[in-house]
Amino acid sequence: MPTTVAQSLVSGILVGALYGLAAVGLSLVFGVTKILNVAHGELLMLGGYASFWLFTLLGVDPFGGIPLSMFALVLIGLIMYQLFFSRLIKLPTEDKIRNSLLIGFGLGLILQNIALRLWTADNRGITTAYAGATFTVLGVRLPYVRVASLVIAFVFLLALQLFLRRTYIGKAIRATAQDWEAATLMGINVHGIYRLSFVLGAALAGAAGTLVAVGYSVEPVMGMHWTLKSLIVLVMGGIGSIAGTLVGGLILGVTESAAAIWISNYRHVIGLAIFILVLLIRPQGLFGAKEG
Amino acid sequence: MTAKKGISLALLVAGVAALWLVPSMGVSDSLLNLLILMFIYTMLASSWNILGGYTGQVNLGHAAFFGLGTLVARILYTGGRPLFLALLAACVVPVAFSMLIGIPAFRLRLRGDYFTIGTLALSQILYITIGNVLPKITYLPIADIQNYQLGPRYHIILASALFTIGVAYALVKSRLGLGMVAVRENEDAAESLGINAFAHKLLALAVSAFLGGLTGGAYAYYQTSYYFNYTFSPPWSLEPVTMTFIGGVGTIHGPVIGAVFFVLLKEWLVMKVGEYHLIIFGVLFLLVVLFLPGGLVEAWERIRRVFTHRPAGKIVLSPSAEGSDLSGNSLASERKEVPMI
Amino acid sequence: MLELEGVYAGYKDLRVLWGISLRVGEGELVALVGPNGAGKTTTLRIISGLLKPTAGSVRFYGCSLDREPPHRIVEMGISQVPEGGRIFTGMSVEENLELGAFTARARREKEQRMKWVYQLFPRLEERKNQRAGTLSGGERQMLAIGRALMAQPRLLLLDEPSFGLAPILVEQMFEMIQEINQQDVAVLLVEQNVRAALELAQRAYVIENGRIVGEGSGDALLSFESVRSAYLG
Ligand SMILES: Nc1ncnc2c1ncn2[C@@H]1O[C@H](COP(=O)(O)OP(=O)(O)OP(=O)(O)O)[C@@H](O)[C@H]1O
Ligand SMILES: [Mg+2]
Repeated sequence: MPTTVAQSLVSGILVGALYGLAAVGLSLVFGVTKILNVAHGELLMLGGYASFWLFTLLGVDPFGGIPLSMFALVLIGLIMYQLFFSRLIKLPTEDKIRNSLLIGFGLGLILQNIALRLWTADNRGITTAYAGATFTVLGVRLPYVRVASLVIAFVFLLALQLFLRRTYIGKAIRATAQDWEAATLMGINVHGIYRLSFVLGAALAGAAGTLVAVGYSVEPVMGMHWTLKSLIVLVMGGIGSIAGTLVGGLILGVTESAAAIWISNYRHVIGLAIFILVLLIRPQGLFGAKEG
Repeated sequence: MTAKKGISLALLVAGVAALWLVPSMGVSDSLLNLLILMFIYTMLASSWNILGGYTGQVNLGHAAFFGLGTLVARILYTGGRPLFLALLAACVVPVAFSMLIGIPAFRLRLRGDYFTIGTLALSQILYITIGNVLPKITYLPIADIQNYQLGPRYHIILASALFTIGVAYALVKSRLGLGMVAVRENEDAAESLGINAFAHKLLALAVSAFLGGLTGGAYAYYQTSYYFNYTFSPPWSLEPVTMTFIGGVGTIHGPVIGAVFFVLLKEWLVMKVGEYHLIIFGVLFLLVVLFLPGGLVEAWERIRRVFTHRPAGKIVLSPSAEGSDLSGNSLASERKEVPMI
Repeated sequence: MLELEGVYAGYKDLRVLWGISLRVGEGELVALVGPNGAGKTTTLRIISGLLKPTAGSVRFYGCSLDREPPHRIVEMGISQVPEGGRIFTGMSVEENLELGAFTARARREKEQRMKWVYQLFPRLEERKNQRAGTLSGGERQMLAIGRALMAQPRLLLLDEPSFGLAPILVEQMFEMIQEINQQDVAVLLVEQNVRAALELAQRAYVIENGRIVGEGSGDALLSFESVRSAYLG
């Protein structure tokens, strides 16, 4: 029994780091542009397929191919932003959020159906030579791929944190998120910053999608699932806090795994229920400060 | 003016009567089925529109209300209860459920997007839970299937659709409806005029859930078999939103036009391009949200104006359609028009 | 260096400015005074490009600003200190100043510039690693001005820099503005504190209901009867 508990704790942490990475892109985009992109999960899905096909057709190692799938998502994100979301950018915040929800909703539908048509509804995993390999620590089995994914997720989050704290552009992004008008008066091209943030969010979704594909699997309908996970984490972690996002992801992962010991069919319901509770009790997030 | 109104009313009555008589004209079952689908989708879109169109609270989980309606009606009806009771329960249960999120969300004055993602999450909870608890196909009672009659179903569903539109119309034309629109346009201004935003939003939600549940009840009575959780699946949340926007959000006839258009286009597209119709529909939806926020209703108004050379009375659905300052966001938000109450 | 000619502007269907014309010369300190809601802030927003005129023209060193986005206008040498300062409260004092030097031109000489700002406002240097949100009202105004100076402006637009300050601080603030002006930075100063502004300024404009109703040297306006009765009590 204790090993079972430890095992599910560990798998909760492993998947939780991916929740964190999935959510951080959504959080970045929302924090800066006030666009709530509910097609974020579909971006993740596309990232997963990118690495799946790179592996299947060209034999590109999924981990080595992360930059490629990120690049693919940069392009897709750019197109998505230029064609659709950029048209909302000048609206008052409330209308912008509402319309972005609608646009994201429609885009999610479109992308999911395109994926269904192109790649069928099959659930696909990336079966590298090392796919099934595990090692054991204190009786807990750890798949190499997922542990590597955890490390990579941490590296990405850390890199993003450093980028936003230390670089000029990163500071400009934070400034724009806080007060776009004051940021303009600093000579910052806020529209450029909006575009950059959106594309960065898409690239992060591409990375997360790859890790999901390699550690778990991909299918066209996974988008909604990952959007919800990201939203849950976003609400728990508070907007604009990378550390909060990571902790939120880990908590969600562990809670789900713990719940799955007793009620395995409801692991995804648990997260959603927490989500609703947090939404109603602490809308500013468990860790986040009040917005503004 | 009154003469014109009289003519419209006469046309309406004649149209409804004609629709009512369709089954007795010896038409094919496939035509009846098509019409029934139109009625059901009309109800689905109209019920969504009451909350989404008139108070601006975007519900991305309408499937929860629809699904609960089907579930309750189906269980009661297959359990031998009378149809009327089954339909009534199908309306009431979703209302009770809607209060679960409505009361806390609106009382806390959460921002609209919190309500939106909350509804998305709730509908997913139901979808997964029902899939776990009732992972089976549900069939109509044997007696019903052996002796399946489209005619009575047609009439009951048509009556439900007329009831739905009637309720929507009555609500929107009442003081309450005006209050709802005021809340949509500017909640603070509405409150300062003495409009209770909380009560108005909650009422709209309740009516939307009630009619969404009725839609589900009608569907449950109509379909011979489906998986229990099918009616909770995401498309049932997506479709009312897309239909309403394509038709014309925040109007009475918009959702009707959107639903008829949706069913016909789907029928036609499925023949032409198979499953690609969902992609085409998604694109259409995006185009409407971005470029034609008033949907087909607005398009029609514009065309008519070109021919009758009427001066343009602009339809402004969200104040966002107006320009704001060069670089950005918030100028317009501080000054929205509030309709006179 | 700056010329506004017949500028009309407004928000949505509300017209606020009705043909404003004014100019600021090289190195000049010009005040713009008027009652609440007269359109002072709106005028500054027009100059910095946050709002575009519906008619009329804005020229800076002879170049039209009509089509320039606000971030380009900063690059050209106009910095605005917005009403209330609008500092980035979530960031440190130093980060705020760094952001002030965001334009390519300013970034090159960031270090020297920051030294100068710290000289002007030693308070800021003491608190450079503190979160800007923890600053007092006066310190916030200093930071807002310092941040604007980081961009190496030729023209500084100040929107009520003395707002909410204690009288003694107001005096200091005006001295500071004079000092900045003496460094060959032209200043367009919007103030509620009409007497002090007119005493400080070489020239001044009086704006009412979106129209310029008076113009002259600061002293002349100080003795101008209608101004006296309206603003100086
Ligand atoms: N964002 C806005 N949207 C709509 N109207 C605005 C906006 N900003 C200002 N106004 C209106 O424009 C007019 C002029 O405002 P402005 O801020 O320019 O005045 P001001 O002279 O700076 O006043 P104060 O001394 O109070 O700062 C006012 O009537 C105000 O209500
Ligand atoms: Mg002002």
